[in-house]
Amino acid sequence: MPVHISVVVPVYNEEENVPVLVDAVRDALGHDLSWELLLVDDGSRDGSRDAIRAIAREDARVRLVPLARNYGQSTAMQAGFDQASGDVIVSMDGDLQNDPRDIPQLVATLDSGFDLVAGYRLRRQDKLVSRKIPSWIANRIIRRVTGVNIRDNGCSLKAYRRELFDRMRLYSDMHRFIPAMAASLAGARITEIPVRHHARLHGQSKYGISRVLKVLADLLTIAMIRSFRDRPLVMFGLGAAAAFGLGLTFVAATTVAVLSFREVKANALVFPGAAVLWFGLSCYLLMLGLIGEAVLSGHTEEGKSGVLLRETPR
Amino acid sequence: MTDISCIVPVTDRVPDLGELYREYSAVLAGAGLSFEFIFALEPWRRRDEEVLASIRASGSPVRVFAAGQPLGESALLRAAIPLCRGTMVVTLPAYRRVQAPALVALIERVRAGADLATAMRSPRQDSVFNRLQSRVFHALLTPATGRDFHDLGSGVNAIRRDVLDQIPLYGDFLRFLPVLAAREGFRVEEVAAPQHPADRGLRVHSIGTYARRLLDLLGLYFLVRFTEKPLRFFGLIGSGVSLAGFLVLAVLLVQRLQGHGIADRPMLLLGVLLVVIGVQAVALGLIGEIIVHFSATHRRSYRLAPSGEGERRGMGRP
Repeated sequence: MPVHISVVVPVYNEEENVPVLVDAVRDALGHDLSWELLLVDDGSRDGSRDAIRAIAREDARVRLVPLARNYGQSTAMQAGFDQASGDVIVSMDGDLQNDPRDIPQLVATLDSGFDLVAGYRLRRQDKLVSRKIPSWIANRIIRRVTGVNIRDNGCSLKAYRRELFDRMRLYSDMHRFIPAMAASLAGARITEIPVRHHARLHGQSKYGISRVLKVLADLLTIAMIRSFRDRPLVMFGLGAAAAFGLGLTFVAATTVAVLSFREVKANALVFPGAAVLWFGLSCYLLMLGLIGEAVLSGHTEEGKSGVLLRETPR
Repeated sequence: MTDISCIVPVTDRVPDLGELYREYSAVLAGAGLSFEFIFALEPWRRRDEEVLASIRASGSPVRVFAAGQPLGESALLRAAIPLCRGTMVVTLPAYRRVQAPALVALIERVRAGADLATAMRSPRQDSVFNRLQSRVFHALLTPATGRDFHDLGSGVNAIRRDVLDQIPLYGDFLRFLPVLAAREGFRVEEVAAPQHPADRGLRVHSIGTYARRLLDLLGLYFLVRFTEKPLRFFGLIGSGVSLAGFLVLAVLLVQRLQGHGIADRPMLLLGVLLVVIGVQAVALGLIGEIIVHFSATHRRSYRLAPSGEGERRGMGRP
């Protein structure tokens, strides 16, 4: 029986959760061989790796993907995707806050004609101030910036068509923005369904409120790549135009100052000086835009489009 | 069958290569190891070839390669790696820094399971100034690497050949080989090695050398922390500088609204300059992100740990 569903779970210091997780997935997906569970050990310092290895030895459907060190969630997920053999990939957290019983519903929704199905946590079991409120704000901003209408970007439980990952790779901390990347890079059809959410049983949460700045930087990146991936010169050109406009403003201010003060004093150099700085910035941004175009042309493969197209049924 | 390849890059220091070879090879031979020495010479060190040729003539396992153009120590070392026949590589500076028995200790540590063993000169017997500058360098290094290394300056490393082939080496970062190996998840051990008497002289480097060391540190810090997320580095700097600029401009705006003229205030230039520099830094970060984004599909992004369970071992993507 060919593998249909590959469940990919990044694991970092979840020794106690691993056996529970495997049992939960077994119960949810049944006892045939149509699925596999890839547990990516992201350089855990506890006994997670041995725990996974012991289970994998007895159950061929469970596979260990051992990373050499701790790379972070995005890279760990990508490592799992690279090893997955199913045509449907499901990602999930290793902390048991997601419920594997939702997987069949996700996959069924995916098979009804989508490239990505995201879960959203219906009754979230997390702390209000440190987790839920920042998450609510972040989701609003992410929705606005990325243009992808997903209620809950922080929920890892998602199902994907395998082809999606032939067109994009996760790096840095991009796992939070998979729907946005899938939409802009692969033109994916995306929907979401409600999923269950449980409070943490064992272990520590690996998130902190300190990640807000990082998420903001990543969001800026995503927005830029989404809008200007195919024309970086336009983005930098717009910035250059704004700087040029500011320069012109200061030229005008200089003119006014010279005309109204009559005798030009040495300290009237301030306005023209500022104008020169803005013009300099304008040139600099244009040049950077050209570099961006050079990078783009260096990485474009002939006859290859990233976008997923699907023939519509007649 | 050669087990151990010792690479000696010879740049500008003027050591007695014959003495180096005799001292180190005697100990290796005494330990019953099969080894070869590879000397990689800068073009202007050609006259060392005669010394080495006479050693080779006596049947010693010595190979000598000379660069056609000046390369520098790191590049010489890197160029010599593919020429090695051994399953373990020992990097040796041409200038003797540790006493010969330390080599055997390093090799044994690698045989016992370490991926890389690096020599840490201890006890150090050289001048207080040498030790002080080394101390400062390594104190600066720690925040970049997140791990304490005590003596990267020794340059004496024993490393498994297959491990060496998996570490991305470029530029002048070869001196940070233990750091890079540890970062890739390999087992790196520091081994105390008695300092060589020839290494005890006072070392005062040129200002250029110190500047290069500092740049190396900055480069390493960026490489380790921000290679995949340049915007976090440049964005933080840029937004901080821009924010300072906006504050200056806001103060001026308030003063202008209160009726003070600002056309003759150099403060205005400072404010604009800070904003401009900040925007430039952020823009550079964005270009960095574009480059990372497009190269992410081609670049190896992770390494799987070795395993006795028959799982696939290898790279993320070739």
